[in-house]
Amino acid sequence: MAPVGLADLAQARRRFARWNLGFDRYIGYLLPLLFIVAIVPILDMVYWLGAEALPTMTWATLTTGGPTQPLGLFPAIAGTVWIMVIALALAVTLGLFGGIATAEFLSERSAAWVRMTANTLAGMPAIIIGMMGFVVFVLYFGWGLVLIAGAVTTAFFMTPYVFRAADLAFSSVPRTIREAALGAGARPIDYILRVARPIVTPQILNGIFLALGLGIGETATVIVTVQPSALAPTGPFSYASYLTYVIYAEYTSPLPADVTLAFQAAFLLLMIVIVINIIVRIVAWRYQTRLAGLFV
Amino acid sequence: MALPDETRGAVRMSAPPPISNDGTVLATRGLGVRARQHAILTDITIDFPPRSLTAIIGPSGCGKTTFVRTLNRMTETSPGLSVSGEVFYLGQNIYARGINPVLVRRRIGMVFQRPTVFPMSVFENVAFGLRLEHEPADVVEEEVQRSLERSGLWEEVKNRLDKPALSLSGGQQQRLCIARALAVRPRVLLLDEATSSLDPASTQRVEATLEELSHEITIILVTHNVAQAARASDRTAYFYQGRLIEVGPTEELFERPKEKLTEEYITGRFG
Repeated sequence: MAPVGLADLAQARRRFARWNLGFDRYIGYLLPLLFIVAIVPILDMVYWLGAEALPTMTWATLTTGGPTQPLGLFPAIAGTVWIMVIALALAVTLGLFGGIATAEFLSERSAAWVRMTANTLAGMPAIIIGMMGFVVFVLYFGWGLVLIAGAVTTAFFMTPYVFRAADLAFSSVPRTIREAALGAGARPIDYILRVARPIVTPQILNGIFLALGLGIGETATVIVTVQPSALAPTGPFSYASYLTYVIYAEYTSPLPADVTLAFQAAFLLLMIVIVINIIVRIVAWRYQTRLAGLFV
Repeated sequence: MALPDETRGAVRMSAPPPISNDGTVLATRGLGVRARQHAILTDITIDFPPRSLTAIIGPSGCGKTTFVRTLNRMTETSPGLSVSGEVFYLGQNIYARGINPVLVRRRIGMVFQRPTVFPMSVFENVAFGLRLEHEPADVVEEEVQRSLERSGLWEEVKNRLDKPALSLSGGQQQRLCIARALAVRPRVLLLDEATSSLDPASTQRVEATLEELSHEITIILVTHNVAQAARASDRTAYFYQGRLIEVGPTEELFERPKEKLTEEYITGRFG
């Protein structure tokens, strides 16, 4: 074989450049395609659910319900709101404090352990978390199959997402900024509340909304811990219906009106999730312009 | 235990700084820093007189950055370092039991290699240390203006104090950091290669600012730029492999270095 000379090297470089150019062009074609692959199912879902749900959906669908008005979603909406408010409050508290503690105060070794635990919890099938909730809150604590048992169980499902967002957000603040704050005589709490807060807020809000979007659609953690009810809940210790339960229970009903109710609940959930995602985007945009130049 | 000038509230101590018995503001005695088995600094004994600008020079890895970080106990924010020996601030050992490192850092300001503005307005950046001390609003306003004037930034930012500090240029950001450090009226200002990320024009502005400040406070400037040490400082200390080789008036050190190592470094034979 002839020795590799400069000419060969130049030729190889040219060939690579040509290949690279082609690659760029194909990627250019691929991106719109991927966008279509992502957007089509969403539009399809909106259209398909909307076609089933919207013709009979009125304001009354959202505001009535119960044994005498079986075609209303109000008890399910009220149940979902109850469960989500409690679950979100718990998940945000736990996740936020856990994330800050892990990123700011724990040693590298302990932080690695906490992160591993949180990731394991995030990867745990929701139904297993549901069973844990059933055993601990329903049976051991003796709460019974009430709304708060489902809410606390769902909080365990949501916490890892908030935790991970908070942990990542605080870990990603430039080290130099942290040093400068401490070097100016800030206590860790001053650093967290005054300096890091504007930097981490968008990421953490993102995590909270992600957790909310996932939790609101999660059925497994509530289906085994809450006794369904036709009535809107009156407090944390009452039985409750919720949107995903309506879908689960009514979709297989022989009565067409019940099936339509399931579609309406599904459409409502879909809209809520889409709105949450739009809020996430808006928050991210708003902060992006404000923080431009920080991460250079 | 209280630091010597513990007057509660940084700003109220506007009288000339009381000087410790032997006339130095800051002094180290047998200072050493180790990371596990490896010695980063060994037996540093040096005095910093009031109203002076001391440059610390030396090749990369000689421990000059670690040295200034021990002077306001910033070393403790990076795990794994152990400090021995003493650092006296106005006669008080800041490593003594019961001294709060947070309060030490409020007295001994620090400016870092890269500009480190916080994601808030220009005004709030400078007011940061004053807010930590819960100074009243009128004092804060006065001190912010004074510090920005002293760091040579006031004319450029006076009409946009409420704009995000991140919108300033690199050189302006670094002078903002100096203003932030000055706002709490420290007697000592530490600069860790504070001009190394700036263009020549900005460097010149910062140097002029430092020169002016050195008539009032003690400045310690770490630099890897020998020329900067020669033109900006009135005292120079040369570090090599974690040891203080030589310290003296800048002119003397550059014209008649006592040590062979110093001479080799400043004439560019290594480093």
